[in-house]
Amino acid sequence: MDGLVIGIDLCDTYTHIACSRPEQTWVIPTVVCKNKNQEEWYVDEEAYAHTLVGDGVMEDKLITQVLKDGTATINGIRYEGLYLLKMFLEKALELPKKAAETETIASLVIAISSFEVKLMDSLLYCADYLKIPRERVHIVSHTESFVYYVMSQKRDVWSNQVGMFDLTDESLRYYELRVQRMGRQMQVVADCQNLEEGFHLDVLENLAGAKLADKILCSCADRILQKRLFSAILLTGKGFENTDWAPEFMKQICSRRRVFVETSLFARGALMKALDYQQERSSYPFTCICEGRLKASVSIKILSRDKEKPLVLAEAGDNWYEAKSMVDFVVTGTPELEFTVSPLDPRKKKLVKIPLEGFPKRPDRTTKIQLSLGFSDEKTMVAVVRDLGFGELFPASDSVIKQEVML
Amino acid sequence: MSLILCRHEPVKHPYYIERLGIHIGSSQELCYILYHHPLLAMDGFIDDHLIRFIREELDMPFLAGKLDTWKRSSEDPDEMIFIILQECYYYTAKETMKLRQQIAAYRKMNQAEFTKETADYYFRLKQYGTAVHYYEKILDDWRIKSLSDELTAKIWNNIGASYAGIFWFEKAMSAFDMSYNFQKKPETLKKIYQLTLLNPELRIKDRYQSLISDENKKEWEQEFSLILEQAKKEEPVQKIEELFDKDPIRRMAGASEILTTWKKAYRKML
Repeated sequence: MDGLVIGIDLCDTYTHIACSRPEQTWVIPTVVCKNKNQEEWYVDEEAYAHTLVGDGVMEDKLITQVLKDGTATINGIRYEGLYLLKMFLEKALELPKKAAETETIASLVIAISSFEVKLMDSLLYCADYLKIPRERVHIVSHTESFVYYVMSQKRDVWSNQVGMFDLTDESLRYYELRVQRMGRQMQVVADCQNLEEGFHLDVLENLAGAKLADKILCSCADRILQKRLFSAILLTGKGFENTDWAPEFMKQICSRRRVFVETSLFARGALMKALDYQQERSSYPFTCICEGRLKASVSIKILSRDKEKPLVLAEAGDNWYEAKSMVDFVVTGTPELEFTVSPLDPRKKKLVKIPLEGFPKRPDRTTKIQLSLGFSDEKTMVAVVRDLGFGELFPASDSVIKQEVML
Repeated sequence: MSLILCRHEPVKHPYYIERLGIHIGSSQELCYILYHHPLLAMDGFIDDHLIRFIREELDMPFLAGKLDTWKRSSEDPDEMIFIILQECYYYTAKETMKLRQQIAAYRKMNQAEFTKETADYYFRLKQYGTAVHYYEKILDDWRIKSLSDELTAKIWNNIGASYAGIFWFEKAMSAFDMSYNFQKKPETLKKIYQLTLLNPELRIKDRYQSLISDENKKEWEQEFSLILEQAKKEEPVQKIEELFDKDPIRRMAGASEILTTWKKAYRKML
């Protein structure tokens, strides 16, 4: 499909926008400015210019505002956090649109650091406002974005474990991925940990602060990397725009390892994923297990051509936010649903039964149910079972069962 | 337990089965009807309208094509029932085989037996009008040939019960009268007498007056009163009583709903 393919790394302080054609990356502060005198909104340099001139009011921490239902009052008008984010995204997306001279967005992947339902719902709402069809918008975690970035590199980069430090004003994080081969199937397992040693980047402005920061990173690297074998170490985040302040840390991680610095890594990873959505067949034939992805498969037993077989409703590696399904069944035998939850470790496989309590008693095979399955997070499945009756022969009742299942 | 996965069937216009007075909106419901109403299924149920419904509404063009071909081939039309069941996988192969045997058994019956079975089937469905049609068909067909008095009495008795079911008591009285002519059963006399209790305008023929003693009358009246008392406790009556406890607006709405249901049910009986 023609149109822009974009990857965005949306954080509270900075937003990275990566675009494939033209191949360009923009880094802008996550702030939006409203003109005091007219209905005009600005981002990037314009936002600062209008604020400095005095005819604009700037709002920052847009993600936090959305998550905490924050509001901003500009010229007596109260704006909700979601509205501010909407205006920010609209203006921010004008950058690649102008560069590519097109208005159409063919694929958009947004990487976020906290995979919260509220934020994801808000982003989809913004996409609706921007008239980008929902099927073209996908939201991934930073970890997943890291996976796609790494896996888009040459094989020798990811042949062993890959580690990554992400240093921003907000946090210091460590990401790690490893590729596992399970027969023909390749599995990429990635994880992320928030390091307590995080510091504000202001400390790097003086020599003593920079030295201390270097020491902190050295100690983290020592503790985390130990003597393990890594095929690559990546550095990302605003803190690593320049690595001169951390000579010891660099020396330590560069010892017998290859080190890459990519400050817009999450946006680039998101772009790789956005490009992949454009392909008929994925260029990344692996199961990805990381934050934002399910770590267990969920199936249900069905009767097909007189034989029982499992019907997979959600698979390990599926994006749990997008893994929604709605299926109609006719119940036969005991009126209950029996889910099989199969985590990666087969020993932890379990059966979960949901009895259809309160449903009208009818002859066998004359109760049709609608099963809606969704996930409120990667460990919690929400099943809603609705009685559909059996046409006019056995009319539907209002019976509904809603149950959460811990995976 | 197990579940049968339902395919997506974009039915916008459910198929109306006039004989049953219901609409069906899925392949599972169609299979259910075929399985539980074999006599209906054998009675020209799978026609061009149903095949069009299968093709266009159930979105099963392959099955519809198969049925079309079979229909044109002039082969055994009963086989179309199994073509549908096999294609929908709602019933197991074992259950389908059971139905096949049941249908074969029906087909082995002689014409009168089969027509009686059909008439009884509609009687059980409370489709009294259709039932009477089939009962009369047996009498017409066999008027030329001989029919035992016992069977003739039974048929007239069922015709009487059918007419009573649609509250056509005069016709019911004549039918029970005919039944008694063929077989002198006291049970028939009881029915004749109880019809006069249901409709006091009806008069018992003089020839029965001497056959029904005062003792009989007393006993049958008691039995009739008992049935009336029991009926008062039935759920539909309770529902009406509850309805009249409600405020006038809700009562009117409820009454209108009940009347519509009754009318619908009555039309189905005719």
